[in-house]
Amino acid sequence: MTRSINPRKLRSYKEFLYVLPFLIIVALFSYFPLYGWIYAFHDYRPPFPISNETFVGLKWFSTLVNNPVRLKGVVRVLRNTFLMSGISLAFSWFPMVFAVFLNEIRNKPFKKFVQTVTTLPNFISWVLVYAVAFALFSTNGAVNSVLTGTGLIAKPISFLTETDGIYFKMWLWLTWKNAGWAAIMYLAAISGIDEQMIEAAKVDGATRMQIIWHITIPSLLPTYFVIVMLNLANFLSNGMEQYFVFQNAFTQDYVEVLDLYVYNIANSGPGMYPFATVISILKSVVSVVLLFVTNTASKLIRGEGFI
Amino acid sequence: MKKFLALLLTAVMVMSMVSFGAMADDAVITIDFYDDAANYHGIQTGWFAKVVKDRFNIELNIIAKQVAGEQIYATRAAEGNLGDILIMDKAEFANAIQAGLVKNIADKLPECANLQQFMAQIDSYNSQFEDGIIYGIPAEMTDTSPVTLTAELVGSQPQIRWDLYKAAGSPDVADVDGLLDLLAKIHEIHPTNDAGDPAYPFSLWPDWDNNDNMSGPANVVQLTTWYGQKLKNSAMLMPDNTFKKLTDRDVAYYKITKMINKANQMGLVDPESYEQGWNEVCAKISNGQVDMIWYNWEIGFWNSQERLDNGSAFQFIPVGDQAYYADADPFYGSARVWGVGSSVSDEKYDLIMKFLDWYASPEALVFQHNGIEGLNYTVGEDGKFIPYMDNALMDNLPVPEEFGGGGYQDGNNAINQWLCSSICTNPNTGETYDMKFWASYIAKNMTQMKSEWMEKFDARDAVDWMNKNGKLVASPSVSFSPASDDPDHEFIRKSINTELCKYTWQMFRAESDEAFEALWDEMVETLEGLGYEELYQYDCAKWQPEVDMKVEAAAAAK
Repeated sequence: MTRSINPRKLRSYKEFLYVLPFLIIVALFSYFPLYGWIYAFHDYRPPFPISNETFVGLKWFSTLVNNPVRLKGVVRVLRNTFLMSGISLAFSWFPMVFAVFLNEIRNKPFKKFVQTVTTLPNFISWVLVYAVAFALFSTNGAVNSVLTGTGLIAKPISFLTETDGIYFKMWLWLTWKNAGWAAIMYLAAISGIDEQMIEAAKVDGATRMQIIWHITIPSLLPTYFVIVMLNLANFLSNGMEQYFVFQNAFTQDYVEVLDLYVYNIANSGPGMYPFATVISILKSVVSVVLLFVTNTASKLIRGEGFI
Repeated sequence: MKKFLALLLTAVMVMSMVSFGAMADDAVITIDFYDDAANYHGIQTGWFAKVVKDRFNIELNIIAKQVAGEQIYATRAAEGNLGDILIMDKAEFANAIQAGLVKNIADKLPECANLQQFMAQIDSYNSQFEDGIIYGIPAEMTDTSPVTLTAELVGSQPQIRWDLYKAAGSPDVADVDGLLDLLAKIHEIHPTNDAGDPAYPFSLWPDWDNNDNMSGPANVVQLTTWYGQKLKNSAMLMPDNTFKKLTDRDVAYYKITKMINKANQMGLVDPESYEQGWNEVCAKISNGQVDMIWYNWEIGFWNSQERLDNGSAFQFIPVGDQAYYADADPFYGSARVWGVGSSVSDEKYDLIMKFLDWYASPEALVFQHNGIEGLNYTVGEDGKFIPYMDNALMDNLPVPEEFGGGGYQDGNNAINQWLCSSICTNPNTGETYDMKFWASYIAKNMTQMKSEWMEKFDARDAVDWMNKNGKLVASPSVSFSPASDDPDHEFIRKSINTELCKYTWQMFRAESDEAFEALWDEMVETLEGLGYEELYQYDCAKWQPEVDMKVEAAAAAK
C-alpha cells in the first residue's frame, strides 16, 4: 500500500528548507564559537592542546574574584565601558538632529558637499584616523606648531597622553567618524514623511522650526527608538579599534574597554587565553543581563518587549 | 564581434595556463621561517633574497611574532606546523619539542661541515635530551671562549657625542646627577640639530618593553646594567651574584627610573618619547636629534667615517659610580636556538640542512655581518677587508642591479639572527667578521677624536677602561636553558609586566618628586597585590642554576 504524502506536511518541510540556511548560519557563527568557552576551564597554553589533564574547573574564574587588585582592574574596565557607551547613548540624538538640519539646507550642491564630507570618515579605518590625530595633535604636530609658533604657549602640550576629558574626546572622535553615516538612516526616514503634512502646516503658517518640532522630529522618533534599542544591545561591545589606537601608558586606565581588555590580555602571552576567555564570558553574561533589564523596562514603559 | 572576443579570451586563458605550467617547472621553493628575532613579516626581498635564491633556489617566508603578534604562535602550534626553520627562545623551544613540533636533526648534522666546527656548543645544548637526539643549534655561537669579552663596548653604557661633550667642557662625571648636569649643558649648547629640528639627550620608546626575559620598560632595565645589575625576569641579579627584588629602592631599577624622571623634570627628555616608537627614535638618531644613546649597536645609526673624522661621533663617557655589566662572548650561544620543523618533507629537509650549513659558512657570514663586496667593504691587496660606504644601512643606499637592486636596508637579511656571532674569525682574512676589529678599520679609526678620548681616559676603548678601573662586571657564557613558566606563574608575570610598564612610564613624567614617590608606592602595592612576592621567589629559583654555572665557569677560568 502506498502512503500518500500529506500536502500540508510537504509544504511545511519545504518552508523549513527556506529558513534552514539561516539556521545554519546562526548555529555556525553564533553558537559554535561558544565551544571556545572550554578554554576558560583549562590550563591551556600553546603549543600544548587541551586534554583531561589540563582541566582545572573554575580556577580562572576564582582568580578573577579572589584577588582585590585584579578585581579592581576589571571594575575599572567595566567603568570605562559603561561610561563610553553611556556617553554615546546620551548623545545618540545627535545624528538625528544633524540629519534634520542637513535636510533644511536649500542649496543642493552645498548640501551634497556637507553630506559627502561627513560620511567619508566612516570609511577610514581607525588606524588612519589615529594617523590624522597624530599629525594634528602630537607634541610635534600641526596644532602644537601653530600654538608655539604664535607664542600662545611656551612648551608643546601632549594632547594624546592628556587624560582630562578623555571620555568626551573619545566620543568626539567617534562622532566625527560616524555621525554622517548614522544620519543616512534619518535622511531616508525624512524623505518618507508625507509632503501633504508639511504643506498643510505651511498653509497654516507654521515656521520652519515649528515644522521641524511638530512634524519632522515626531516622524523620526520610531526610527530613533529602533536605533537606540540596537545600540543598547551592543552596550558592552563598543569595539576595540578606536581605543586600541588611542591607548598608551597614560590613557590606558581610561580608554581600556572590555573588548580591548580581552585583546590586551590574550595578546600579552601564550598562556593568557584562559583568563581572556573568562573575561569574554563575563561580557556575555553581563550582556544577557542587560538585555533582560532593557526588555523588562520596555515592557513597563511601552507595554511590549522586543524579544 | 562576440565570437572574436570569445576567441581572444580563450586564447588568453590557454596562454596563461601554459605559462603557469612553464613556471611550475623551475618553481622557487618557499621556506617558512618561524623567527622570534625578525622585525619583518613576509617574503624576504632585495639583495639578500637574491643571494639565497641564487644558491638554493628558495625564498624565505619570514613569520615574525614580533610583527604579527602572539596569536600567530598559538595558531601555528595548533596546526601542528610552526614552520620549516624555527628560531625561538630556549624556554619556548623546549615546549615546542615536547609538543612534537621540532625535528631531530642528528642524522644530517654530520654532513654539515661548517656546523661541525661548533659541535662542542651544539652537544652542550642538546645534552639535556636523550642520547643521539639533536633538536637545536644555539644562535650566535662564537669560536672564542666562554670567558673572553671581545668588544670595544659592552651591551649598554652612556654614549655621548664627543663634540658636544667637549663643548660642554669635557667634565669628569661622578654620578647620575653629574651626568644630568652634563646633559643639561649639552642641551643648552645643542637645542636643535643642524636642520633646526629639536634635539634632546633622552628619546625613549616602548617597543621592547618586557622583552628578553626582563620585566619592565627596556629603556630602564637595559640601563640598570650601568650599576652591574642584570634583571632576570622579575628578580634583579646583583654584582655579588645574589638576587634582590626589583621593587627595592636600593636596586638600580628605582635609580634609573628616578634618573629619567629627573631628566624629564629638567626638560631633557624628548616630549615625543611618550608617543613614538623605535622607528621614529632610530630616524632621530640618524638626524642628530638625540644627544645620548646607550645600546652598543646604536652607534651604527650615527658613527660614520665622516663623523669619526670630524669628531662628532658617539663615545663612551664613564660615570664615576657606575660599574658595567657585560655578558662575555656568547660562546654557548644566546638565549635563542635554531631548529627544524617536524613536518618538513624529506626533500625540503635536505635543502634546509644545506641552507643552515651554508648560513654558518664564511661566505654567508660575510653577507650577514659585512654585506656586499664593493658596496659595504672592499678587499685589500693582502686579502683583508677594508670598510666602504659604512652608511649603506643607515641611509638605505641603493644596491646595484647585479646584486638585486632596491635599498640596502630594505633588502637586508630579515632573519635578523645569526648562527655564528660576528666576533668569529673569518678564515679567509684571519680577522673577525666584526668590522671594528679589522686592521684597516682600526687604522682609519685612529682619528683625532679617538686619540683625544684615549688621552683623556687613558685607555684603548670602553672595555679597556672598564677593565683597568675595575668597573666591569663580566658574566661568563654558560649553556643554560631556563624552564618555561607554568600557567599560574605566567599569568602573574604578564599581569605584573603590564602594571610595571604602565606605572614606570607614568613615573617618567611625574611632575614632582612627591608625585614620583607616590606613584612608586602605588606601583609596589599593586605589584605585591598581584603576587610579586611569589613570582620573585619563583624567578630566583628558576635562574639560580644559571648563576651557579656562571660562578663555576668564572672560577674555572681563573
